[in-house]
Amino acid sequence: MTDVAESSPARWLYASSTIIVAGCLIALIAFGVRATAGLFTAPISEAHGWGREVFGFAMAMQNLIWGLAGPFAGMVADRYGAMRVIVVGAFIYAAGTALMAFADTPGMLFLGGGVLMGIGIALTSFSIIMAAFGRLVAPEKRSWSFGIATAASSMGQFVFAPLGQLFIAAYGWQNALLLLAASTLLMVVLSVPLGASKGGVARGEKELDLSMRQALWRGFGHGSYLLLISGFFVCGFQIAFMTVHLPAYLIERGISASLAAWAIGIVGLFNVVGSYLAGVYGGHASRRQGLVFIYLARSAIIAAFILFPVTALSTVLFTASMGLLWLSTVPLTMGLVTLMFGTRYMATLYGFVFFSHQVGSFFGVWLGGYLYDRYGTYDPVWWISIALGVFAAIVHWPIREQLAASFAAPAR
Amino acid sequence: MLGRDHRLAIGLFLSLLAVAIVATMIAVRASALPDSASGKMLAVFDPRLEEPAMFAALVRAGGRPLRRTWLPSVWVVAGDAPGFAGSLKQAGAIGAYGELPISPELAGCFAYADARSRELFALRP
Repeated sequence: MTDVAESSPARWLYASSTIIVAGCLIALIAFGVRATAGLFTAPISEAHGWGREVFGFAMAMQNLIWGLAGPFAGMVADRYGAMRVIVVGAFIYAAGTALMAFADTPGMLFLGGGVLMGIGIALTSFSIIMAAFGRLVAPEKRSWSFGIATAASSMGQFVFAPLGQLFIAAYGWQNALLLLAASTLLMVVLSVPLGASKGGVARGEKELDLSMRQALWRGFGHGSYLLLISGFFVCGFQIAFMTVHLPAYLIERGISASLAAWAIGIVGLFNVVGSYLAGVYGGHASRRQGLVFIYLARSAIIAAFILFPVTALSTVLFTASMGLLWLSTVPLTMGLVTLMFGTRYMATLYGFVFFSHQVGSFFGVWLGGYLYDRYGTYDPVWWISIALGVFAAIVHWPIREQLAASFAAPAR
Repeated sequence: MLGRDHRLAIGLFLSLLAVAIVATMIAVRASALPDSASGKMLAVFDPRLEEPAMFAALVRAGGRPLRRTWLPSVWVVAGDAPGFAGSLKQAGAIGAYGELPISPELAGCFAYADARSRELFALRP
């Protein structure tokens, strides 16, 4: 690992704390601007006389594009470094957000809010940031840095939701989108400290010098990697299902709208703490065991919640504990990718893992609605979530928590 | 060593929280309606006030209470008379607002899902 802080003339700019803060702010902006989308559903739909499904489709498209573009964004980041990718991503993100303001046909909205924003997020989101941290931060702080990046991403929604609302109230929804587009360009400036990671050069001493193609080939030939990919599908499924359907489930079970709203807020708040603590934990203990625990705990908590009568107390306990486990899988999963394959191709290889997560998210949302319409209850999907949690724990258990043999340099 | 890292994390999160709180306060002020406003709006009361007292205040101001939101002290109310927003304040409301920037925030990786959740709890007249 190159000690950038020592070798650079602008030491403060490349100090690890500057890198961490800048990376966290990029993750925050990338996640935060995206999270303001809900504020524009009504104004855009009403201004153009479109049904809500047009906007919903653009957002669904954005998520799938984000997932699809993730591995490619990772490849570019691994090849050219995080800074360049973030700069390009910020401009694409800004263009997509600005295009939403001027979109007067559904096709333009799909292009701006769906395709361009999806690519922009893929190029600037926490997977790129964590990959940069993986290369720039000392190994003993790596897991901690993954945790803080994930937590900062989550904070983006708290920061940008009121800002988005403020912009709409003060300047109208179109100008608000333009202001949000401009704020994504802040990522260009913030990416400078991450420029210490040039890409294509960072490789640990124990890692073999591989080409991208070789790394992908060997990665997909590594059993533990495939297990990790299949396990992360479950994370996406559970989280997206609960995000969309939990409020409706609570209200259906007699919980007041007020408590349901607070319960959702509790998830969001505890998620910040849980993500950070998972990163800290991953620096000291087995990431594999941490993930096994998280998935088993999710299953046990969901089972207890739906088997017993839903009360105000059980709702608060459920959402608080689920919040702690919400995105806590992210730093541990990224940590395992780094451990198995080193830092050279971590953005690419995590990109594929994340794609599986986004596919799981899609199925969580879709199946939640489909099975509810078919059976008139959320119980089947809750039980599928429980079973998938157990499945994820089982597939994480045999993961070998060490550098993959096919990535290891021969001992001298 | 790690103590310094935790301090950095806590400092960062507290700073971000402060930004979020200030932004929310400014956004709430920006969504306040002038006294001359009329039509459908949000009436905000002191949370310590009982429900019947809030309801009575809405009626006293000449409004039609439409529904209570998930924040128990925030009501959606309609009033056609010019200066209805001012009447609400005279009747005991803290203020009259357009859409308020307060909603529970989730942090998932699926913006579509987050947007739907936000839409459900939006404080909108």
